[in-house]
Amino acid sequence: MRGPDVTWYLALAGTLFATGALGVLLRRSPLIVLLSLEIMLNGANLALIAFARSLGDGSGQIFALAVMAVAASEVVVGLGLIVAMARRNLELDVDEMTTLRG
Amino acid sequence: MTAAAWICLCSPLAGALAITLAGTRISPRLAGYVSTGSVAVAFVAAVVAFVAILGKDGEERVAESTAWSWLTAGDLDVGLSILVDPLSVVMMLIVSGVGALIVGYSIGYMDGDDEERRYFAYMALFVFSMLLLVEAGNFLILLVGWGLVGLSSYLLIGFHHERPSAVAAAKKAFVMNAVGDATMALALFLLIYETGTLDYFPNFEAADGMSSTVVTLVALGLLGGAVAKSAQIPLHTWLPDAMEGPTPVSALIHAATMVTAGVYLIVRTHPIFEAAPAIQDLAAGLGALTLLVAGLIALVQVDIKRVIAYSTMSQIGYMFLGAGVGAYANGIFHLMTHAFFKALLFLAAGIVIHALVGEQDIRNMGGLRRLMPRTYVAMLVGALALAGMPPLSGFFSKDSILASALALDSVWGYVLFATGIAGAFLTGLYTFRMLFLVFWGEPTPYVREHHHAHHGKEGPFSMTSTVAVLAMLALVGGAIQIAGIWHPLADFLHESVEPLVEPTVTQDWVTSLIAVGAGVAGIWLAWWIYAARRAAAPHVPWARRALEHKLYADEAYDVVFYTPSAAIARGFARFVEGPLIAGSIAGLTRGFREVGLGTGRIQSGYLRSYALAILGGVALLALVFISVR
Amino acid sequence: MGDFIVWLVWIGAAVACVGSGVLVISFQNPFFSAIALIGNLASLAVLYLLLSAEFVAAAQVLVYAGAVVVMFLFVIAYLGGQADAPWAGRQTWTLYAAAIAAGAILIEVVMAVGLATSDRLTDEARIEESFGSPAEIGRLFLADHLLAFEVTSIVLLVAAVGGVILGAHSRRADERA
Repeated sequence: MRGPDVTWYLALAGTLFATGALGVLLRRSPLIVLLSLEIMLNGANLALIAFARSLGDGSGQIFALAVMAVAASEVVVGLGLIVAMARRNLELDVDEMTTLRG
Repeated sequence: MTAAAWICLCSPLAGALAITLAGTRISPRLAGYVSTGSVAVAFVAAVVAFVAILGKDGEERVAESTAWSWLTAGDLDVGLSILVDPLSVVMMLIVSGVGALIVGYSIGYMDGDDEERRYFAYMALFVFSMLLLVEAGNFLILLVGWGLVGLSSYLLIGFHHERPSAVAAAKKAFVMNAVGDATMALALFLLIYETGTLDYFPNFEAADGMSSTVVTLVALGLLGGAVAKSAQIPLHTWLPDAMEGPTPVSALIHAATMVTAGVYLIVRTHPIFEAAPAIQDLAAGLGALTLLVAGLIALVQVDIKRVIAYSTMSQIGYMFLGAGVGAYANGIFHLMTHAFFKALLFLAAGIVIHALVGEQDIRNMGGLRRLMPRTYVAMLVGALALAGMPPLSGFFSKDSILASALALDSVWGYVLFATGIAGAFLTGLYTFRMLFLVFWGEPTPYVREHHHAHHGKEGPFSMTSTVAVLAMLALVGGAIQIAGIWHPLADFLHESVEPLVEPTVTQDWVTSLIAVGAGVAGIWLAWWIYAARRAAAPHVPWARRALEHKLYADEAYDVVFYTPSAAIARGFARFVEGPLIAGSIAGLTRGFREVGLGTGRIQSGYLRSYALAILGGVALLALVFISVR
Repeated sequence: MGDFIVWLVWIGAAVACVGSGVLVISFQNPFFSAIALIGNLASLAVLYLLLSAEFVAAAQVLVYAGAVVVMFLFVIAYLGGQADAPWAGRQTWTLYAAAIAAGAILIEVVMAVGLATSDRLTDEARIEESFGSPAEIGRLFLADHLLAFEVTSIVLLVAAVGGVILGAHSRRADERA
């Protein structure tokens, strides 16, 4: 493999994941949270592809495609929820959605 | 023989159960008949057992019968067993016979009471308990009967439960008896420890071999129970208060049977007492002390029932004296005659009370001799028997005890004898003081107002007939044992209890002379003061006050036992119960609530907190995986 | 020379990736965040190409950038002003805790991987020309991972149904309101 070897890609994937995690934890808008989730998923995808290349096994790419499909589905549902909330004039603030309290 | 004994035991129980289960479906009168009938059946069964015993002799007269094994624990095996021997048969006859008469009397006495059925059920229960006590074949059944008798006494003393004084008296009786029960239980524990069994005969045989400390403690424990049940000093203060119960109750429980259970106990377990002579002497001493003190207190009582109650206390003192010197048959003999004339006195007093619509103060009575002649005769018979006048029953029984004391031929014996003679004097005095005040003289204004005859007769038939029967028994009952001439009772009881002393004929006659003399002196003094009114009663204020306060025994107990206990209880309630016990529980609940609330705060509902928690968990897990690797 | 170019491309793509990621989570306006996400996805596609995953790279651009982000932009446009959202409010300790947790995960990931596969990572596998081509992907999907294929299609179906339901409900609520 020319260029950096797998460890570099993995470090990059970890960084992406951490960045996405920070976004999920620190932003209050559900839209931004969803976007951050996408970043996290992409980080995982990168790691998968990197290992697929490193081990010579195509299953990693298959896995990454499945992840992509799932991510897309999840975005559909998440955006549907956000739109439903907006229609009811609920405030789009993650801190306001506290009905799941104990 | 044992079959008859079982029937005798179970019949009153069946009667009590029947009345209880029938409830309000039967009329009160029917309840009375059922109760009387069940006790009468018990009496018939006792007679059958008696006749059966007569047909045998020697060892065969003792029979044990066990229904089933009641309590097994390790090596200890206690059965539900009864013992049928001459002693128990005599007691069975007395209890069921006098009991049947008194329960029959109650049909008339309690007529019209609101809760008659309950009364009759309790009376049958009591007879069952007393029979269980005297028929017991081992110490545990004895203790069961002991406790049941105490329970029946409590129930019956407090029968008029709407009267606070009755309830208090019932509690007092129960608590004081509980002290005796406790000492008895301790004695039983010692016996189990020493011999491993609670049956009578193995323990009696082992009594000689036990170390003197052990056997003394056992005897002391048993004596404690006897003293409590028989209202001897120092556990005597409950008996006068027990007069709050209806008069037939006083007659049956607190004169004829329950209070004599202590005497029965000593006689039954005499091998143990004989192995601990100090305790046996203590029993005699307490009996002597009680008979003297009770006689003195009786001199100043104004309630007719209380006079008779103190007289009971005093006569049981005689029985304790008899048992204490080893004259067991004589003690039982006096028990029997005492049952007759004491029940007679109580029941006749009941007729008087009934006729005077509940009045019991003898200062308000007088001149009833002409208004109620038959009752007067009955009471006169009872009083003469009580004072030990020949040829009535009391003469034979009481003097035989005193003769046995004389036969000890020791200083102690002479002391006891002298006390007994003094007691005889007092007995004559207080008994006839009561008789003269109630029946002689002119009718008081109260009597004129309130006396009413019962359909032209002195009382209902059930009451007068039973009193008549008891009068006959008091009159001739002494014929069973005439000292020196014939003694079938002593012979009959010989199988169960051998006496320790046998007085000589001379001693018998000397005793009789002196005792009768003392009694006559007492009667004469009573006549001098109260009937003929030739002199006023001596007026010694401090003595009178002391006697009226029963020598301040109640006050002493209050100071020594009640006040410190109450203070300790209050202290505990304030410092231990509140902060520690209740406080710790409150603290526990508070702690749990707060932990719960605190834990609940984790579920804040904030999405980001949950996400942070998940992320933190993942980080932690990853750390774990790395380090494990 | 070839190696050097690969490194250059890699560094460029990596910087773009991380930078756009940081931008996504920083913008106040979600519209800009979505644009930054496109940049992120594009740089990732480049990285995938470097890793011989051609089909995945194409799918990334088509699906993610072409569909998902477009959906985002639709919704953001629909929401208009409502979409604006400030940065985190509440307690600052969550800020620090989040930073620590994220950093910890990053470090741990690297460490874990490094420790677990210390020697084996240096050996790369030999791959054929066809590695990562659509034909290879297709063959793998239909031969080795058929179940994953089918299940993924069901997931997509469910998501579509869910989207319709969510949209339908809100329309009814809209009519009532």
